[in-house]
Amino acid sequence: MYTYILRRLFLFIPVLFGVTVFVFLVMNIIPGDIASIILGTEATPELKEQLRQEFGLNLPLYQQYWNWISGVFVGDFGNSLRTGAPILPEMLNRFSLTFELTIFAAIISWMIAIPMGILAAVKRNTKGDIGIRFVSLLGVSIPNFALATLLILILSLFFNYYPPVGYVGFLEDPRRNLEILLIPAIVLGTSMAGSLMRMTRSSILEILGQDFIRTAQAKGISQKMVLFKHALRNAIIPVLTIIGMQIGYLLGGTIIVEQIFSLPGLGQMVLTGINQRDFPVVQGTILFIATIFVTVNLIVDILYSYLDPRISYD
Amino acid sequence: MKFKVLFILALFICMLFLAGCGGNNAVSTNGEDDISNSDNNAVGNDSEESNNENNNGTTGENMAAEQTLLIAADQDPSGLDPHKVTAHSSIRITGKVYEGLLQFDDDMELAPQLAESWEQVDDTTYIFKLREGVKFHNGREMTAEDVKYSFDRIKDPETASIGASYFTSVEDIEILGDYEIQFHLSDAYAPFLSYIAHSSAAIVPQEVVEEHGDLNQEAVGTGPFVFEEMVPDTHVILSKNEDYYIEGQPKLDGLKYLTMIDESSRIAAVRTGQIHLTTVSPESVSLLEANVELEIINYYTLDYNYLGINTEREPFNDERVRQAISLAVDRNELINTVMGGDAQLTGPVPPSLGNWSIDVSQHEMYEHNIEKAKELLEEAGFGDGFEAEIGVPGTYRDRVADGQMIQQMLAQIGIDVTIVQLEWGDYIDAWNEGRYDMLTGRNGAGTDPDRSLNFFFHTEGSANVWGFSDEEFDELAEKGRFEVDQGTREQTYFDAQDRLLTQAPNLFLYNPQNYIVISKNVSDYMPLPHSSERFHDTYLSE
Repeated sequence: MYTYILRRLFLFIPVLFGVTVFVFLVMNIIPGDIASIILGTEATPELKEQLRQEFGLNLPLYQQYWNWISGVFVGDFGNSLRTGAPILPEMLNRFSLTFELTIFAAIISWMIAIPMGILAAVKRNTKGDIGIRFVSLLGVSIPNFALATLLILILSLFFNYYPPVGYVGFLEDPRRNLEILLIPAIVLGTSMAGSLMRMTRSSILEILGQDFIRTAQAKGISQKMVLFKHALRNAIIPVLTIIGMQIGYLLGGTIIVEQIFSLPGLGQMVLTGINQRDFPVVQGTILFIATIFVTVNLIVDILYSYLDPRISYD
Repeated sequence: MKFKVLFILALFICMLFLAGCGGNNAVSTNGEDDISNSDNNAVGNDSEESNNENNNGTTGENMAAEQTLLIAADQDPSGLDPHKVTAHSSIRITGKVYEGLLQFDDDMELAPQLAESWEQVDDTTYIFKLREGVKFHNGREMTAEDVKYSFDRIKDPETASIGASYFTSVEDIEILGDYEIQFHLSDAYAPFLSYIAHSSAAIVPQEVVEEHGDLNQEAVGTGPFVFEEMVPDTHVILSKNEDYYIEGQPKLDGLKYLTMIDESSRIAAVRTGQIHLTTVSPESVSLLEANVELEIINYYTLDYNYLGINTEREPFNDERVRQAISLAVDRNELINTVMGGDAQLTGPVPPSLGNWSIDVSQHEMYEHNIEKAKELLEEAGFGDGFEAEIGVPGTYRDRVADGQMIQQMLAQIGIDVTIVQLEWGDYIDAWNEGRYDMLTGRNGAGTDPDRSLNFFFHTEGSANVWGFSDEEFDELAEKGRFEVDQGTREQTYFDAQDRLLTQAPNLFLYNPQNYIVISKNVSDYMPLPHSSERFHDTYLSE
């Protein structure tokens, strides 16, 4: 097991290296230049040149890349070209929000999706099942931004409510922090719940049709035991895959929801970075997100073998 | 096995805490030392200050205990160096923390700020007498040394200050005394004083620049508000400058700018009373009009929307073709459709700039005459029309709509227009390179016609990306720049504007309005075209 984890960790290196090279090249290929964007109509050739010089954009590409990556190795992600602020502390700061929001949203989604999915599977083809499937289809189909905007509009118009403005961290003021994150978490959670519910349902249905379930039922084990002990545990692997992917995506920042609810998360940072062609920010954040993504995948793989002892990596 | 899983989970949780510990220590400014200026110790000898008369009326009972104005900003500031920033999101912060020698008053006239008075000794020499006893926020007194340092910094190419080009004619700065400084120019550069009043001509303390290397993340000025903290994508907090040199100002204890990019969020937040002030787009105004808790203020900006024409390309190098386009575009229709009627006709110098602008409504190029346009095209040899491309910045609804409307208008004279939507960074490149036949866009005309004309349209103008070069216009624009007599200068600029409209390198479409929503308890606040956030006298009432 440990060797497996070590081997996987070792494999991170080429993956992440590939990501940095790719992002670096893409940032250099796309049109647009940070000096021109910052200066706008104030741009004179001399000013632009001076800024490009200051930002090190006149160096050969390999040297720019080397300057950046050699800093990363010693934990220095550089400073934002646009604001001059150091990138790493900023990223960690934002990750704490994104992480919290992800967990919050995931819990909401599990609380909705798993019981509903089980119910739909057990009551297969009844009105209840059809109802649940319809709702889950809605959840999959309604885009985040539409749901978020609708919620904001409805809450502010009819209930005169808007989440408190000005983000504060959980450690600073837990109550306020949770109140700020509640609505965004509901938006994310419900949209995650849709596909998760469908996966739970189909996966349980598949298991319920198998021989060992019939055997268990024939033995006279109560329906509850059959469902929760035998069926659920066996059905959980595909569900876990979906959960892992969803969490991986969410941890990478939820650009639209962050923007709508003015949350200073990772997604906003990436987006502003791209819009302003602030390449150290884009590279740093993408590297960070990629690291999170592969780590989550690794954790999911490890969880498989825990939940299903037949899966072994040794 | 279970142990391993727990171990991994524990690792994950550690990550959360590590991340959390780097957390922001945002503490909002407190409103505890309430109503500090409610009072009798007002000495009342700061005579030349404007707006002092209503001071007395506003003190006492009707001031709310909490005096922190909460503002929703649609964009996060990008750096705080007053000599370098160009984004409105940054200038609205630096403009409160820093001050310059002069400022524009309510009527767009020059008024003293850090300079108590100024004198033009001859055509090329100006002497400023500084206000005594003005302190930077770090407690040190501001003197002529700082003024010299600041202008040297602006002029230093290393700084890459946008103001460098405003002061190229400044040859020599001489300190005459602690509170007296003399600027010597190489020529009689007429816009000099307007640029002295520009937000980028801020006076900064040398020791702060040296301590931090630059001023991107730190701000120490002489202004009414003191910089407290900036948390990216979250907020900027400014607190009251207790030692401000104008007695009784500012009345607010602080300002808090909350970054809220999404407009529906800003609207919901102002509607539910969570913030006091925000800008909104013209389309959203109707959503808020009915709300009795809110007040909507609109004012004309110094900007204009334009259609820029690449005058180096065939067939646009022919002025008749450009004139035909100008005649085919119905600006009133644009105002009504794109801006819902809330905009005004403009030339290169918007009417909000006061006396400098000409009345364009009677200009022959504004008459919207399809027949005449067709004739001109015929004369130029394009009677059968031609194809053209317009680049539009996809991020801005109004500029995209301008493009679409113009597409239809030009179809009437046989020009077949294709619209290309561009991402912002790409648009800036296209603008710089002259990649399309035409571009829609918006310009800030500046506070002096020199900028509106020379900067954008002189052959050598640094923002003349249109390849426009007209000797007669250049002569007029230069003459205005070095003309010291105001009357003659005005007439010269009128002629220059007229020439520009006739030559039509750009079509000036309209001068838009800005909308600001405030809650009813925000008192004594009025935005001006050149300074939309002057909070010196603003306070929150009960």
